Amino acid sequence: MNETILELKGISKSFPGVAALRNVDLRVDRNEILGLVGENGAGKSTLMKVMIGFHRADEGKYILRGQEMSLSGPEEAIRVGVGMVFQEGSMIPNLSVMDNLFLANERGFVRWPLLDRKRMAEAAREQLEAVGLGSLDPRTLMRDLPASRKQMIEIARLLWLSSHYGAENPILILDEPTTVLQASETEMLFSILGELKKKASIVFISHRLEEVVLHSDRIVVLKDGIVVADAPQAKAEVRAIEMLMVGHELAAEHYRESMQGSPSGEVVLSVRDLAMTGKFEGFSLDLHGGEIVGLVGLLGSGKEEVCRCLGGSESPSAGKISIRGRETRFNSPKDAIAAGIGVIPIDRRNEGLATSLDVANNINLLVLARMRRGLFLSPALERKSALKWIGEVMIKTPSPQTACSTLSGGNQQKVVIAKWLAAEAGILVLDHPTRGIDVGAKDEIYRRIRELAAAGLSIIIMCDTLEEDIGLSDRIVIMKDGRMVRDISCAKGAKPTPVDVISYVV
Amino acid sequence: MSVKNKVAIKPIYISLGLFVVLVAAFTIGNKSFLSLYNAQTILNAVGILLAVGLGQACVILTGGIDLSVGSIMSLVSVVFMLLLGPLGPWAFPAVLLIGLVSGALNGLIVSKLKIPSFIATLGTQGILLSIAYLLSAGPLSVPDNSYGLVDIVNGAIGPVKSVWIIGLATFAIFFVMERYSRMGRGIIYVGANERMSYLSGLDIDRIRLVAFSMSGLGAAIAGVVLSSTLYSGYPTIGGVYVLNSIAVVVVGGTAMTGGAGGMLNTLVGALIMGILNNGMTVVGVDVYAQQVFLGVLVIFAVAVTFDRSKLAIIK
Repeated sequence: MNETILELKGISKSFPGVAALRNVDLRVDRNEILGLVGENGAGKSTLMKVMIGFHRADEGKYILRGQEMSLSGPEEAIRVGVGMVFQEGSMIPNLSVMDNLFLANERGFVRWPLLDRKRMAEAAREQLEAVGLGSLDPRTLMRDLPASRKQMIEIARLLWLSSHYGAENPILILDEPTTVLQASETEMLFSILGELKKKASIVFISHRLEEVVLHSDRIVVLKDGIVVADAPQAKAEVRAIEMLMVGHELAAEHYRESMQGSPSGEVVLSVRDLAMTGKFEGFSLDLHGGEIVGLVGLLGSGKEEVCRCLGGSESPSAGKISIRGRETRFNSPKDAIAAGIGVIPIDRRNEGLATSLDVANNINLLVLARMRRGLFLSPALERKSALKWIGEVMIKTPSPQTACSTLSGGNQQKVVIAKWLAAEAGILVLDHPTRGIDVGAKDEIYRRIRELAAAGLSIIIMCDTLEEDIGLSDRIVIMKDGRMVRDISCAKGAKPTPVDVISYVV
Repeated sequence: MSVKNKVAIKPIYISLGLFVVLVAAFTIGNKSFLSLYNAQTILNAVGILLAVGLGQACVILTGGIDLSVGSIMSLVSVVFMLLLGPLGPWAFPAVLLIGLVSGALNGLIVSKLKIPSFIATLGTQGILLSIAYLLSAGPLSVPDNSYGLVDIVNGAIGPVKSVWIIGLATFAIFFVMERYSRMGRGIIYVGANERMSYLSGLDIDRIRLVAFSMSGLGAAIAGVVLSSTLYSGYPTIGGVYVLNSIAVVVVGGTAMTGGAGGMLNTLVGALIMGILNNGMTVVGVDVYAQQVFLGVLVIFAVAVTFDRSKLAIIK
């Protein structure tokens, strides 16, 4: 039963200036789900890319089904039954599901000189069945599908390709498959993966350790390009893995709860009966000074749109927003910023930062007006401000002139936070502030959020997990199908558990 | 891990290296390349390339392109000749204003109608050129009583030609705007990440408007200088400057994708283009073959500076 399908032996891979992998041994067994975890930069992605032949290892052996081989690239990897579902997705949105399934491999469906669409549809249905999408019309356009389904279709495509090329027990590599999914969809994904492993091996990478521990048969932990643990599920425990990943004991408490204060009585932001046609309605909220309110809900619950209305990037169709008692209207983010609301977006690379510019330019963006001496910007003042915030928020960067693209995800997030702190925003909307950030950096972000609240900033937060929402917030507001359904206190030491709350969310 | 790490050398150093190589190569090819007279000729051409290139750089830094600079130069040259007689010295500010307004029009079209600058300026290029033709299909020359005014541009203070001063003054204005004004920084922010700039409350429409207006101004300055040195204005005068202005910008190391590069790069680019245009003639490269070298250089420069991470698919 425990036959090894793929074995990597002594794999090393260096990039200019970094040893990404150092003498890594990894094996993938038949019919197993292998969980691969590690901090950002631990070498997970590089290892995956070696597995699919995207990178060639500097040293080491690649032994597939007992045969040593050297892959020429992902193309060949697919043919021998090793495929990867990428984080971003690699499907063409304006083609149908079946076109995407068989993309570049339509030869079998040619009835000279045309494609036999009917036969393609039939074959597609068969493939979709295997991933639990039997009811989906294969002629549906890819762009009309939610992220969860797109992912299943990518998996179906890999399965089809490996059977097409006659590869038995293929290896499917899933890179952070659950970040785009809602809780219920995640469950669905794992139940399907459980089914699929009867005829395939699955390697899955995730930041959510709970998931890995729950659903993997075996767990491999990478740190600094070295395998530090390889343990069967039965022996794995979240806290132990976290310690292995970061290499030092984390603070005993999660979410820095001991630093949680009590909000002031002053209502800083008051929202009354806010609505956006077709998205949400009747949203009312009083946000107090120093308060952290978690906005909880599934995708489509309307919480994202509420935040966009508060940030000025979308306009509500009805309702009132008042800041410190004064009613305001936001026609653009500019108005919201002028009113003291800052939004730290979920997509930092595209919405939060100019990654090609340096740290100083990103931090000072909102406060350039204060960087002037006379008519002109003063490089000395700019530098001073940048250095101040780099120290304040503890951004690890060689200098203020370093391009943000070279920083890690956690440090990039700190740059975005510094930018809004420099602007003295009184209200922050944090849209998944710890998404894609490793454990150590997460803890620093939690601490920073606590300090901000203690300093009197009011915060609306949307988190990656319900546990995080509850842990960080003073209270959570739950939305479902565009309406507020519950407002639950999460005071220090008296927090509900995710289990208490989940029934209101779904 | 990405391609980015491989391009460790800043584009401007590559450009400076190219500059040195070109000077050396042309001097070896023909001793008189470095003669005082030839150096003056080169610098005259650089002055014009610089003015139009600096303007173009403003637009390219935002991630756009201005294809109308040639037509603005042509229109300016014609109107300049027409206005010298009636307006005298006021002809100078009048035509600069025409450049500014034409540029502002480009900016409004791009930001208000939300169409790509490539198409918008392709359209205005035709419109402005037509206006130049309608004003005068044939060449106009300097009115007899206005030679004195034109010779301000053609004159010199001691050994220093006015054209160089105009070029340098234009550079100074654009450089200060880029480095030491919020507007200049706004241009860079928009080019580096427009979505982020919008969400950070920058007035993107206004930034675009200013960038295109600056482009129009640069083209107008180049148009005045060019028509003054030729003592003439006609609708085909500026045509070659569309490619030349883009070449000046990209050869200096400014990325077509926006947000990287700047006025200093453009200064180096103008020197390279001035030397290349002149040097190829001096060492006897066939006039018809010269475009081959220019074309190769532009493609090479864009290939080095292009930020491929911004585009999913290169079209």
